[in-house]
Amino acid sequence: MLQGKNIHFCISDKPIIGDIDIKLEPGKFTAIIGPNGAGKSTLFKILSGDVGCSRGEVLYNGKSIKTYSSQQLARIRAVMPQHSSVSFPFSAWEVLELGTLNAPSEIGQEEITEVMQKLQIWHLRDRSYNLLSGGEKQRVQLGRVLIQIWKKQAFPRFLLLDEPISSMDVSLQHLVLDLLNDLKKRNIGVLSVLHDLSLVGNYADQVIMMKDGDVAFQGEVSMVFTSPNLEYLFDYPIKVKKYDDGLGLLVHSLPLHHINHRLIQAQ
Amino acid sequence: MIKTLQASIPHTKHRVQNTVLIFLGLMLIILVLLSASIGAYQIPLKSVLPILFNSVGLNIGNFTGAEANVLMGIRLPRILMGIFIGGGLGLAGAALQGLFRNPLVEPGLIGVSSGGAFFAVVFIVFGSGLLSISPLLSLIGLPLFAFLGGLLVTLLVYNISSYSGKTDISVLILAGVAINALMGALIGLVLFYADDAALRNFTFWSLGDLGGSNWSKLGIASVLILPALAMILRLYPQLNAMALGEREAYHMGVNIQYVKYVLFLSSALIVGTAVSMSGTIGFVGLVVPHLIRLGFGADHRLVLPGSFLLGAILLSAADLLARNLVRPAELPIGIITALLGAPFFIYLIVNFKKVKY
Repeated sequence: MLQGKNIHFCISDKPIIGDIDIKLEPGKFTAIIGPNGAGKSTLFKILSGDVGCSRGEVLYNGKSIKTYSSQQLARIRAVMPQHSSVSFPFSAWEVLELGTLNAPSEIGQEEITEVMQKLQIWHLRDRSYNLLSGGEKQRVQLGRVLIQIWKKQAFPRFLLLDEPISSMDVSLQHLVLDLLNDLKKRNIGVLSVLHDLSLVGNYADQVIMMKDGDVAFQGEVSMVFTSPNLEYLFDYPIKVKKYDDGLGLLVHSLPLHHINHRLIQAQ
Repeated sequence: MIKTLQASIPHTKHRVQNTVLIFLGLMLIILVLLSASIGAYQIPLKSVLPILFNSVGLNIGNFTGAEANVLMGIRLPRILMGIFIGGGLGLAGAALQGLFRNPLVEPGLIGVSSGGAFFAVVFIVFGSGLLSISPLLSLIGLPLFAFLGGLLVTLLVYNISSYSGKTDISVLILAGVAINALMGALIGLVLFYADDAALRNFTFWSLGDLGGSNWSKLGIASVLILPALAMILRLYPQLNAMALGEREAYHMGVNIQYVKYVLFLSSALIVGTAVSMSGTIGFVGLVVPHLIRLGFGADHRLVLPGSFLLGAILLSAADLLARNLVRPAELPIGIITALLGAPFFIYLIVNFKKVKY
């Protein structure tokens, strides 16, 4: 269990996020959504241990994050930040290899090969990381993070991802989210900041909806991921519908000029 | 495009790296033998090995007493000092580049060398009182002061140029320019107050390339440099992780603060000792890690020991040239490394504009 208990965070006495309580369960996919500047990334950094919170505490498997060394923490949780650059000409293969640094047991070439093939980046293995496209870089970074927690363990672990698929094309987005879904079976809790609402609706088990530094709603997607809640969150008309056959959700928002047009017609 | 040789065949990567290191090691040994032989006083190659073996009590051939005196008394300590300092500067350059996450970092450019030089001058001019306390201080005081100066400047430059684990290269270079100017002015100020003996001492030291090497200096240098070398070489997995960024390295379980302090201390110790023994020798720390990365990839498992070996090779070769180009006189070795290094630095800047690899 990854818990955040009444987390506060201030920058020079100005509260960025205030009084947040969340729980992440292993084996569940939790998405964080919310408008720009809602405090998603700040919460993400507090949960991953990058910054301490002004008040409150973060618990991994019942123990405060402060009691773990960076090495111990690396075995319980892996983190993929929004942007990572590599300062020297490392190849894609070598970037994945970096993920083995604190891997609990001997992780070898087979696992790296397996992860690369699953993410469809095997053909990029000896390309220099910095010459890859945005979507390719994201898959390589994701591969590195996956390697860190790839071997099965007895204790629950967590994968924290900040917009991991933002530069990928739609088929790759589904490929990656499907892979993340598979990870749940390894007793891994996945937490991801995501922007594409229809992907959230179709892949996440739970959702944390943030607005103005607070959690506006949180819970099972089937309970809180509704049109009124989303419209409140983003201050914009958003419709959530079920597909006719009942499988999957369809989330859509109308273009601004259509909305204006309809408003005029209604008058 | 920079194609990384080792990654195309992942499972043989370590074997390729080891081969490269063995090759560099052999080159260094050949160069040492040549350096031992060639000079103002020629020692035939067939005498070099017998002299070396004789010094450890093995008799494998004949040589003259004069040959043995020149080699063991003058040339060998100088050659070994060149290996320590060249290798040390190469490794310190690689470590600082990894720490600052920037391939343009070099001890001379960011002011570490001049910081060490300033503190060394302070010791030469004002430290004469300390010398009377203990004769050991006269040997170890200069390198220790240079180390302190180097360390202070490294910490200063790092704090000026980094923000949350990222280094801004333009700020870094500007900080280096400012610190070099400041240290130059301070050295001038200290010299203004120096007496004649101290001035002579300083002049001797500032010109003193590898020529002043002797066994006792070499002993001090090895005591100070060897532990620092060992500390840095051990940190290759952490330096690899830090190439992704300090935050990412922390996520992967690297104890960032510990690694940073070890790298700060060790590289300042190496640069400070090198400065105190041989004056400021520029560009070795910049060029060497680059050549290794260009040729064999960025993995620090190879870059660190490779930079030591190639740095030792480059400085030994430069010293060989310095001793022989204008025989029987000598060129200061710093001139030769700068003549080779500065054009390479310009080439790097031009390239850095084009592809920010």
